[in-house]
Amino acid sequence: MSLILGLLLGLAALAGLGVVLSRDPRRQVMAMAANGLALTLLFFALQAPDVALSELTVGTAATPLLFLVTLAAVRMNRVRQRK
Amino acid sequence: MSVLPWLVAAWLFGVGVYGVATSRNFIHLIGCLSVCQSSTYVLLLSLGYRWKAVAPIFYDHPPGTLAVDPVVQALVLTDIVVGATITALLLAMALRVDAKHGTLDPQELRPLQGEGH
Amino acid sequence: MSPRTRLALLCLAGACLTVPIWKVAQALPPFGAPTGAYGPAVNALGPPLRHVSNMVSAVNFDFRGFDTLGEEFMLLCAVTGAVLLLRGTRGESLADKAGIIPGRPRERRADATILICRIFGPLTLVFGLYMALHATVTPGGGFQGGVVAASGLLMVYLGEGYETWRKLVRSRVLDVMEAGGALLFAMAGLSPMLTGAAFMQNVLPLGAFKDMLSGGLMLVENVGVGFAVAGGFAMLFLEFMEETRALKSETQE
Repeated sequence: MSLILGLLLGLAALAGLGVVLSRDPRRQVMAMAANGLALTLLFFALQAPDVALSELTVGTAATPLLFLVTLAAVRMNRVRQRK
Repeated sequence: MSVLPWLVAAWLFGVGVYGVATSRNFIHLIGCLSVCQSSTYVLLLSLGYRWKAVAPIFYDHPPGTLAVDPVVQALVLTDIVVGATITALLLAMALRVDAKHGTLDPQELRPLQGEGH
Repeated sequence: MSPRTRLALLCLAGACLTVPIWKVAQALPPFGAPTGAYGPAVNALGPPLRHVSNMVSAVNFDFRGFDTLGEEFMLLCAVTGAVLLLRGTRGESLADKAGIIPGRPRERRADATILICRIFGPLTLVFGLYMALHATVTPGGGFQGGVVAASGLLMVYLGEGYETWRKLVRSRVLDVMEAGGALLFAMAGLSPMLTGAAFMQNVLPLGAFKDMLSGGLMLVENVGVGFAVAGGFAMLFLEFMEETRALKSETQE
């Protein structure tokens, strides 16, 4: 097992753990972006450039954005409900 | 350690399921679900990897060079994009739940709550 | 079920599954030495049969094209479901400005952000288009190129703000783009049957190896997927951003 593949697999495992352990949704969004980046590096090392391209855009840009906008909408609804 | 990728995939799935079961916020739960999804990607891509092989793109290398398995890559590729849209659908449902019940805590919501209860 | 019971059941299930998972991990082929025969067969037969050099695209759009048709329609259903949930209950009392949460500081957008987004937004769109069109020669394809193009639209939002973005991005255009892409893929499957061939059989001229216009029917399917994915993701962005608009009563104060 080459060293870099072992390290990247360990990094992906740690990043997944980080996503689950961040209970506050706003912190979890940043952890998800880091998880996407770690997975992209792992997929590049596994000789899968197509998959890495998808995961890069989806995991670091599209999905965290959707989460952030949902959190903003939830907060806005709470403020309006209180009025 | 030639079983490390399978163990990492099992670990990611277990951690994701733990997050889903003990979550107190729907949006955190959806994030943990995406960790479960990523465990399948790691497993599939590791199943197709071959030592000293190149990517299955024969633009720079002549056709016939030893390459990794392209079938599992095709599966994972479409899976990532479709998984993101499913996450968006789940987020839209979470927004509606919050607008109707005022809470995002899965443990405070009971299924099939009627209007008169 | 109380949280403690749920956690106890989870730990019990984890303990019961640890030994089977270890046994399965030992029984799988060792990492780096796969035993399947389908992958090497595709690698060996792809270039001479279809004149393409990206084997992953060949599997996605030709050898296993029917699965991609299913995935495409899954994407269409998920986007339709999300849009339905969001549009159906939004109401008409929303203004065209971004909502403000009272108590949070309102900062002006930095000049560096605007400059970078103005340079890289159109560049990302063009890069996404390039990646989507060169599906059969270099790493890329409809799925990747579509998502990159949708994130290019996102950079436009970051640089210009919500009001300008709302005027630029029309939801009618995105609806047509997304549905048109799925329809194009389905038509690419049905049209060969008009000439007597099988569903989704590659009947167009295959072109030269390493040329952009190679692969035959794969190019048409690719364009369909690119449109559907770009339109779908952009529509999701738009619908989610519309949830954060200010109420009309708030902007008149």
